[in-house]
Amino acid sequence: MSPVVTGVAAVSAFGRGADALLAGALAGTPAFRPVERFDVTGRRVGVAATMAGSPDLGTELAGAVDDACADAELTGPARAGSALLLAVHGDPALARAAEADRPRHSADALAHRIADACGLSGPVRAYTSACVAASTAVADAAATIALGRAERIVVAAGYLVEPDQFALFDAGRALATDGRVRPFSDGRTGLLLGDGIAAIVVESADAARGRGAPVLARIPGWGRAGDAYHVVQPRPDGAGLSAAIRGALDRAGVAAGDVGYVNAHGSGTPQSDAAETAGLYAGLGDAAAGVPVSSTKSTHGQALEASGLLELVITILALRAGRLPVNAGFLGRDAQCPLDVISDGPRAASPAYALSVNSAFGGAHTALLVGAA
Amino acid sequence: MTAEVLLTAGATAGSGAVEAPPTLAEQAAAAGLAVRATGAWPESTVDTKPPGLPGFVVSTFSPLVAEAASRCLTRAGDLAERTAIVLCSPLGDVTSAVHVAHAVDTGARVGPLLFFQSVPNAVAGHLAAQWGLTGPVACLGSAAGGLDLAALLIADGSADEALVVLAQQGEPDRATAVLVAPVTEGDGS
Repeated sequence: MSPVVTGVAAVSAFGRGADALLAGALAGTPAFRPVERFDVTGRRVGVAATMAGSPDLGTELAGAVDDACADAELTGPARAGSALLLAVHGDPALARAAEADRPRHSADALAHRIADACGLSGPVRAYTSACVAASTAVADAAATIALGRAERIVVAAGYLVEPDQFALFDAGRALATDGRVRPFSDGRTGLLLGDGIAAIVVESADAARGRGAPVLARIPGWGRAGDAYHVVQPRPDGAGLSAAIRGALDRAGVAAGDVGYVNAHGSGTPQSDAAETAGLYAGLGDAAAGVPVSSTKSTHGQALEASGLLELVITILALRAGRLPVNAGFLGRDAQCPLDVISDGPRAASPAYALSVNSAFGGAHTALLVGAA
Repeated sequence: MTAEVLLTAGATAGSGAVEAPPTLAEQAAAAGLAVRATGAWPESTVDTKPPGLPGFVVSTFSPLVAEAASRCLTRAGDLAERTAIVLCSPLGDVTSAVHVAHAVDTGARVGPLLFFQSVPNAVAGHLAAQWGLTGPVACLGSAAGGLDLAALLIADGSADEALVVLAQQGEPDRATAVLVAPVTEGDGS
């Protein structure tokens, strides 16, 4: 029996709430704006998809976990035994903490603080694996539940645009110089960072049914695999991504042709999008040419460790809405990315299955198969 | 996830002991895994500075991970078809993080190489490429979580074996690595 998702929550540059995130992704109007949260003088690029002000990561994460639990109609006692898997770059305070205080600012310490604040007393685990941190956590939650080792796991993830990662991405010349993220498009120049906080409740189908909980989607398949290729570059033939996709489909017993939407990693960098396209073809075969694809990073930005969860929430809600989100900023087809990119507006469709895929430094890839409830 | 592992791991994660390799191996056994090989840095007084790693600058974090892992994998001999990499570090590459924060706060230049080592995945990618490891790559905050995850990936059929590395910078810098596999009959368990 597939693990199911019973609650979702999100906060993004589109505002508070998963519905605001979905609305932004469907409208296809990017949330990028000049960065005001910190000084970007001297940087090559000065835009990101940010909320107003300087929100606190721990506070926002705890709020999202509470919201996801409320969405799942999880009351206090039912929350208590739940595990928390948290995907973060780390505690934002670590790098400026006094040396003696650093242990208090570990990623696990942050996860424990959130679990305590939200009344989750099960095991706690922090994931820091860059852009596949959150999607790996979801796969692990689904695997744990499928093996009967837990009834219910909360997965949360968060990244709020801050000066250190911004400086690093700027120095690495990874940021889009034209202020737009154009995944799979001719003329794409790079990525842009974005705020993203998300949380979901994953549970066994039996546990959800037993307490009469709403089922938003099923997670019948998941895959995670590595390229064994390079420190940071993806393997050009997409071997790792394709292994993750095939793992997810095989586990679910779903044919590639039954996947009706791919929420792509789609970072908007020239090499990464080409490698991802190769991976989609290797993983989906002939079906890759016809399946609608979009990267919603083109609207909400790259939320690093949190992106996978933000995109999973969008994918789940898009299936429920019967509308597929837009790949904004598309200028024209790139010969290296021969995909059916949803570029002209949200597309009406109600597929039985969608894939959310993510890739990261280190050649790490994940694929999450979402089944309509 | 087993509560036992979560409880036992705190001792290693929080202590300053140098002689960590048996402890990670013992934790692996407690997590229901067979330990195929171990490696560490430092292993003796000869180990005063981990060998440098081309492309990685400023910090000992990635060199530490690479050296402990390489020693472990060299001793393991033949590797399984799908070996996962699970890199555990309570504070990540804190030296690099502090270096970048200082540069940002003082208006100093941030070098482009620091971008590539901004996440622990980078050195995992180095190991994956060098050793041909095609399993999942994950980075976590604690050894307990890492060993739990290694056991899960194997039970889930997502990996045949897993390289688990625990790295901590400080006084002294140290890293331990274990290659873990499913327990089979004849392992005495």
